[in-house]
Amino acid sequence: MTPFPLKIVTPDGLLFDGEAEEILVRTTSGDVAILAGHINYVAPLGMGRATVVSGGNRRTAACIGGMLSVVDGAVTLVPTTFEWAEDIDLPRAEASLQRADKVLHDKTSSDTDLRLAEARLRRALVRKSVAGNL
Amino acid sequence: MAGVSTKEIKNRIRSMESTKQITKAMEMVAASKLRRAQAQVLNSRPYFEILYKTIQNITATNRELSSPYLLPQSEGGVLCIVIAGDRGLAGGYNSNVLKLAQQKLEGADAQVLPIGKKAVEFFRSRKIPAFTEAYADASDVSIGDCFSISKQVCKAFHSGKIHSVYVAYTNFESMLSQSPALMQLLPLTARQEPDGHVPAGIEYEPSSEEVFEAIIPEYLGGVLYGALCESRASEQAARRTAMDNATQNAEEMIADLSLKFNRARQAAITQEITEIVAGS
Repeated sequence: MTPFPLKIVTPDGLLFDGEAEEILVRTTSGDVAILAGHINYVAPLGMGRATVVSGGNRRTAACIGGMLSVVDGAVTLVPTTFEWAEDIDLPRAEASLQRADKVLHDKTSSDTDLRLAEARLRRALVRKSVAGNL
Repeated sequence: MAGVSTKEIKNRIRSMESTKQITKAMEMVAASKLRRAQAQVLNSRPYFEILYKTIQNITATNRELSSPYLLPQSEGGVLCIVIAGDRGLAGGYNSNVLKLAQQKLEGADAQVLPIGKKAVEFFRSRKIPAFTEAYADASDVSIGDCFSISKQVCKAFHSGKIHSVYVAYTNFESMLSQSPALMQLLPLTARQEPDGHVPAGIEYEPSSEEVFEAIIPEYLGGVLYGALCESRASEQAARRTAMDNATQNAEEMIADLSLKFNRARQAAITQEITEIVAGS
């Protein structure tokens, strides 16, 4: 397949800079796969799995928030958090899941606590599902 | 008489030496922290630049774009997010940025969101109301905290409680120079860059407005995190410089005092010899 330049930049630094053949991410309006020769395109990212195919290798990652942009054939992914499946701290995600679950089942939790817990729960679920099947 | 003064001088030298050890240690700690902070600054810059460029592209290509983030609001006060350090002994680092923020806030219907213990204390003693004091510990503020601050600020902005948002931080220019800066975050001013190459025909999904609305809080969080990284690196650099100076001063004083001590000792010896010679 024809490769295209791909950059993945998070606040923690440049995580990927090179050629890729395909990238699959979840935007707020659904899963999108980008191949070489895509038109100029910008979409905000949701929470979900991202798959990068580069040099025949397929790598998955948990990708949360931020945006995806394709400008003049160059693809830039600017997520808030992006963790390769093998880097995910599974015990931590598990603990976070438990904590969030506790808050959500507590009837005395305040509205903001519930919202935070829900967001945490969703992040933990994404991480778990991505790390679960490498 | 000479004996007393040599003892005094000796005591002073000793205390100066222990001070020097402390400042030397602080300098080395700051230098090692600075290396980490500097790497963080360099890592976070591309993220912020790309977000910024995208926003510029959207505002440049979509002329009819109307968003509350772009319009100057009439009511509400000013919110200033002030990023300072947790500790002193960093030269002018804290006082420079705090003074800059205070100038901005003077006379206005203003609130602050202090980050760092020094900022919290400063504004508390001047009775300027705080938006929240939840982020008093500058070294503990994470990227997640930046995003939650940005969400809270956006909410307050939408509800009309505040009409503009500034951030006061310290720019990390180099190891030797850091300058305090004030940046307007909201409302976003539509900047026209003369050489800005705008790629034509970008497809926004679901729509450019929605992309804009989704990206702004991310962008603010990113900017805040960037400012925080810059400030942290500046703090360590300022402390390193200040402590380096202090160490040098201590060394100078020790050299000075040693000279005095030796003179006094020699004077005492000479006097003794004179007395013995005179007596015989």
